Amino acid sequence: MNFFAPPVAITRRRFMQGAAAAGALSLIPFPPRRSLAAPASVLNGTEFALEIGTVPLTINGRHATATGVNGQIPAPILRWREGDTVTLAVTNRLSEPSSIHWHGVRTPSPMDGVPGLSFPGIAPGETFVYRFPVHQSGTYWYHSHSMFQEQTGLYGAIVIVPKAGYSQAFDRDYVVLLSDWSFEQPDTIVSNLKFQSDYYNYGQRTLGTFMDDAQRAGLADTVADRIEWGKMRMSPTDVLDVSGATYTYLINGQPPGANWTALFRPGERVRLRFINGSSMSIFDVRIDGLPMTVVQADGNDIVPVTVDQFRISVAETYDVIVQPTVDRAYTIFAQAEDRTGYARGTLAPRPGMAAVIPPMDPRPLRTMADMGMAGMEHGEMPGMELSPEGKRLEGKVGVDNVAMMPAESLQSAGEGFPPGRRVLTYADLRATKSGSDPRPPTHEITLHLTGNMERFIWGFDGKKFSEAGPIEIKRGDRVRFVLINDTMMEHPIHLHGLWSELENEHGEFRPYKHTINVKPAERLSYLVTADAPGRWAFHCHLLYHMETGMFREVHVA
Amino acid sequence: MIARLYRPLVMGLLPVALIACMNSPPTSAEPSAAVPLGIDLGGSGPVVATAAPAASEPARSLRRDQMQMSHEGHNDAHGTGTVNAVDPAQHKVNVSHAPIPEIGWPAMTMEFPVSPSVDLSSIKPGTRVNFTIEQQPGGMYEIRAIAPAGGGR
Amino acid sequence: MSARIIPVAAMLVVVAAPALAQAPAANAEPSPGVESGATQPVMDQAIFAHAILNQLEGRWNGSNPEFRWDGQGWVGTDYDKLWIKSEGTLSNGALDDGQQQFLYSRAVTTYFDLQGGLRSDIDSRPARNWAAFGIRGLAPYFFDLEVTGFVSGEGHLAAKLEASYDLLLTQRLILQPQIELNLYSKSDPARLVGAGFSDIDTGLRLRYEIDRKLAPYIGVVYQGKFGQTANFARQAGESTGDVRFAFGVRVWF
Repeated sequence: MNFFAPPVAITRRRFMQGAAAAGALSLIPFPPRRSLAAPASVLNGTEFALEIGTVPLTINGRHATATGVNGQIPAPILRWREGDTVTLAVTNRLSEPSSIHWHGVRTPSPMDGVPGLSFPGIAPGETFVYRFPVHQSGTYWYHSHSMFQEQTGLYGAIVIVPKAGYSQAFDRDYVVLLSDWSFEQPDTIVSNLKFQSDYYNYGQRTLGTFMDDAQRAGLADTVADRIEWGKMRMSPTDVLDVSGATYTYLINGQPPGANWTALFRPGERVRLRFINGSSMSIFDVRIDGLPMTVVQADGNDIVPVTVDQFRISVAETYDVIVQPTVDRAYTIFAQAEDRTGYARGTLAPRPGMAAVIPPMDPRPLRTMADMGMAGMEHGEMPGMELSPEGKRLEGKVGVDNVAMMPAESLQSAGEGFPPGRRVLTYADLRATKSGSDPRPPTHEITLHLTGNMERFIWGFDGKKFSEAGPIEIKRGDRVRFVLINDTMMEHPIHLHGLWSELENEHGEFRPYKHTINVKPAERLSYLVTADAPGRWAFHCHLLYHMETGMFREVHVA
Repeated sequence: MIARLYRPLVMGLLPVALIACMNSPPTSAEPSAAVPLGIDLGGSGPVVATAAPAASEPARSLRRDQMQMSHEGHNDAHGTGTVNAVDPAQHKVNVSHAPIPEIGWPAMTMEFPVSPSVDLSSIKPGTRVNFTIEQQPGGMYEIRAIAPAGGGR
Repeated sequence: MSARIIPVAAMLVVVAAPALAQAPAANAEPSPGVESGATQPVMDQAIFAHAILNQLEGRWNGSNPEFRWDGQGWVGTDYDKLWIKSEGTLSNGALDDGQQQFLYSRAVTTYFDLQGGLRSDIDSRPARNWAAFGIRGLAPYFFDLEVTGFVSGEGHLAAKLEASYDLLLTQRLILQPQIELNLYSKSDPARLVGAGFSDIDTGLRLRYEIDRKLAPYIGVVYQGKFGQTANFARQAGESTGDVRFAFGVRVWF
């Protein structure tokens, strides 16, 4: 009878020991198949040796070669303590350059891990030693910033223990790292999208859909609707560019059938650190039967808010506390936004238990509001004109749409949520303490999020990274970033090195985030204090958008 | 006569027995052994009070150590219940207890590890008990004191 | 000499195009933040290559079967590509309607590319070379469209219009009407081509996408010849209008 979790596999590595171990490890062949039962390990302390290499991976019986750290997918959980200075020697055993970026962790610019901006990258065979003080606490994650290695398995969690202690009590603590895995090479995925951008979309509108819609809404309306979308050469079924047609969604590296389980004793408070470490997948997370109290967003404390479901975009983190009081299993259900698959785990008092896996919600459909034409009937344009910058963007090779009426919609969680569930929105995020910089911004930087779905080109203001220069900010300045999403897809926008203080209704208690999900046709803003000098990456965290141009350098000098 | 047959009988049966043992199906793997388990990073420990504005939903009740002064400052609580089972070897008891408001627990049936110094000889299945539990660094609650509740049955 | 100049000029355009493409165009500005040669955080100017056979089919009308192919391929970046188009019909052991185009393609608007280069008519009839200029892209309502004009060394003009539409019956079963029209300014008896609206090759194909990249199909195709072209065909004992059953595979990589 096994009531209690097996002993936590905590390994301590002193730096030299770690280096020796890494050296020794490279001589020992890794086990031929990663067994399902082997847990990811936790690395504690202040000195770490991480080895990037190929890792044989088996998902649902199918074998592949992935890229991982210390032979593991996901990479080991790194547990740091606020106030410590950590030293991480990262050795690259791949045959191509690599890197590790500590997502959400504020480090000096040369330690940020972005090849071409922070440092040249880690060449094959080379060891790069990261070293920086840790001045924050919370849940973060780390991943490669080289090519598509993040897609092939190079991601892991960071847990930074607060110096002063936790402000919310809990009895158990689990990392829940969500990701997406494809057996196709990422280069092939992008290449496929370049030739046929709806390659992975098997939820398109067909003759069958037309007939269903005509029956429901009438023939005239349905025809008008098809004409409206056809005129724009857009499809309202574009939800995620890469879908379950190629992805298996993983929870802590496990597919749904593996039944990753977190144990609890009834009555205990369990902290779940949700991290979206995927490349292209936005997840809608819920635990049927268990409301979740969200206590942290992107590593920072927020006033606790209890919800039934939340949408976690790529690279975001949410820490929730649940308190199961009944002796039964609960399903942790994370469905992809386009409903082509899900990641699934179980919260249970004993291993081997499983709860019902709910059916997926209906697939969301984009609307004219997502095109920035909210409130306009078919084809009617009440004398509205595009802004001058909008006019400039229209028709460019990199732009397929300019939102006519971008809207502020932080109080909306997005589409795809059946009624009756409390869903977390950005308007709900209220920091527990007021911001550290009370100054208003001195100037604004406005950026349009643009893309051309047909050509699969993405960028800011119609330009790819290679076509634009850096965004210059003077050190110490307080600026406002205004983002206008001219596309009909969500983009999680991540600014390295500096906190993004999302301007929602909470004034000085605005949340400090590192990744902000901008919804279709949404306009939002956040304040940034440029207190850290360096060349910082600024990009959409959908990996294939980033690589096809949705990237900028923010230069703080 | 049987004595004469004994040896050849044994010798004849021995290989059969060996073969049977070899071919016996492996003990069916417990599903629990194959399920990947999450790594518990432990409990929060003592929480730091924050001057945070009131939550939109009340946060779970923090412990109130008003009951026994001698337990001031510890993460402990008191409960009453009925013992279902005692495991002397593992030093554990299974108890069905009443709600414990100090820590926000409803009535439950659960197993507790018992502190090694506690004497379990008077605790039998069916005994009504009063007990004190204290939260351990790993997050689990351990029984620090347990005694039959007046009278015993 | 004039007969040679146009194809040579076209080839030079094709060869020089990549060099021309380095110059910043209206859409792109120089990138001050990007030092050439240094490691880049993202490689958004990657070169991709694809090729597709839209038609790879046998055509039957009960008597003599034909075999037809129609495909395109390109290699390049988001803005600049080198494009190859090829089509031809094999019937009675002879290659007919063979056209190859070698083009440089430049993305100019959201949905359309400008293309220019060389067209070579290579089949069992006398070869012809043309300079080619055109546009291709996605027209409103999701029509795939290619309109190309040609000039031969002798100053003859020609034009070709190609259009197709994908109607999804289900996620994998797709009905595709397709049409190709050719026009010529002057007749070319050696190639059995007449002036004016010359010929049409159109079909309705139903494909099943086993994979996005592999889709067998069946269809009905019609080849028609008009005006002077029809006269030439009758004189040569060929039909002027031909309905056939087609069976083939649409494949791309």
